[in-house]
Amino acid sequence: MDIDILVIGSGPAGVQAAIHASRKKAAVAVAGKPSSSAMYGTGIENYFGTGPRRGEDILSEGIRQAEAAGAVFLGSNVISASGTGPFVFGMDDGSEIRALSVIIATGISRRKLGIPGEKEFFGKGVSYCAVCDCNFYKGKRAVVVGNDSEAAVSAALMTSYAAETHWVTWNTEASDHLVRRARDAGAVMHGSKPVAIEGAGKTESIVLEDGTRIITDGVFIELGARSSADIAMDLGVMPQTDDSIKVDGNCFTGVAGVFACGDVTGKPWQVAKAVGQGCTAGMSAADYVRGLK
Amino acid sequence: MVTELNESNFDSFVESNSFVLIDCWAPWCGPCRRMGPVIEELASDLAGKVAVAKLNTDENQGIAIRFQINAIPTLLVFKDKVLVDTLVGLRPKEDIISALGIQ
Repeated sequence: MDIDILVIGSGPAGVQAAIHASRKKAAVAVAGKPSSSAMYGTGIENYFGTGPRRGEDILSEGIRQAEAAGAVFLGSNVISASGTGPFVFGMDDGSEIRALSVIIATGISRRKLGIPGEKEFFGKGVSYCAVCDCNFYKGKRAVVVGNDSEAAVSAALMTSYAAETHWVTWNTEASDHLVRRARDAGAVMHGSKPVAIEGAGKTESIVLEDGTRIITDGVFIELGARSSADIAMDLGVMPQTDDSIKVDGNCFTGVAGVFACGDVTGKPWQVAKAVGQGCTAGMSAADYVRGLK
Repeated sequence: MVTELNESNFDSFVESNSFVLIDCWAPWCGPCRRMGPVIEELASDLAGKVAVAKLNTDENQGIAIRFQINAIPTLLVFKDKVLVDTLVGLRPKEDIISALGIQ
């Protein structure tokens, strides 16, 4: 699929960016799942002119507006990004998207599980980056934890290093395409939620809600989709150490064609700021694309 | 200046400097690449106080095993040839300085 602008993230920043870019006649597609937005499932009471309302209601109305303006919501996640314009994105359903410009509106992601043993064994078998640490698990046992595309990709990757790879996924949101890839690669799937990581001095096992105990050397916690920091680096943008992406007043990242808006650009993490930046990023990207043609 | 370490100069570097900070990293590791500029800054900020180096764990797996490194980025801190601290994960410069106990 060839488009002008790919917006990564379908929370308030991404949706507002899609509305403004589409109204400026750019061909816009939006990646990500609205249910992954921090706004989904919360109430909003501090947004201009809007009484207490459910976040998901405002979000669905925003998505309808963006669709009416011409934006296409893909519902799939980005798993890889490359190129310097056009940018090429690999999606979790196996498809590929080529875009002249990209708006990173991925928000801030929850990376921690919050279970006993997770903090204690960080660096002693617990890792949040399978790509970084897979090499230390050659011939060992590994467990990947997570429900979405990043966990599926990591599980498939670990099978090339570990002697035994397990994938704990209790509410799978990864695409069938990626689940099949992980399973075909040899990852053993477990459908129960993790409750504790145990060991003496280092990780030795992970315990699941259904009572299963998996003996392992490593636990790779990979929640959500590919992180904004990884996508940014794929595109040549260096994030800050807190994973936020620095932008100027036009929501420009410093790399031609790459813009960012919303929580991913740093605090305040507020809907009002997200939509304000979304508007700016959408217009900046549309202007950029127009300048290329 | 950040010194590049490998199997042949690792021990002599640790032995010839009283306060040592070593950034263990690998090229495909995103958080390690984000740590890189922080380490460069630390090397210049702490010049004369702390000897700063980096070690590619992919090319020097023996050292990684010796110090039980299984997640990167990992920072190794040596004082008078003794490993006194191991800091795992990407963190801002201020956190590293405070972990080193430098005022």
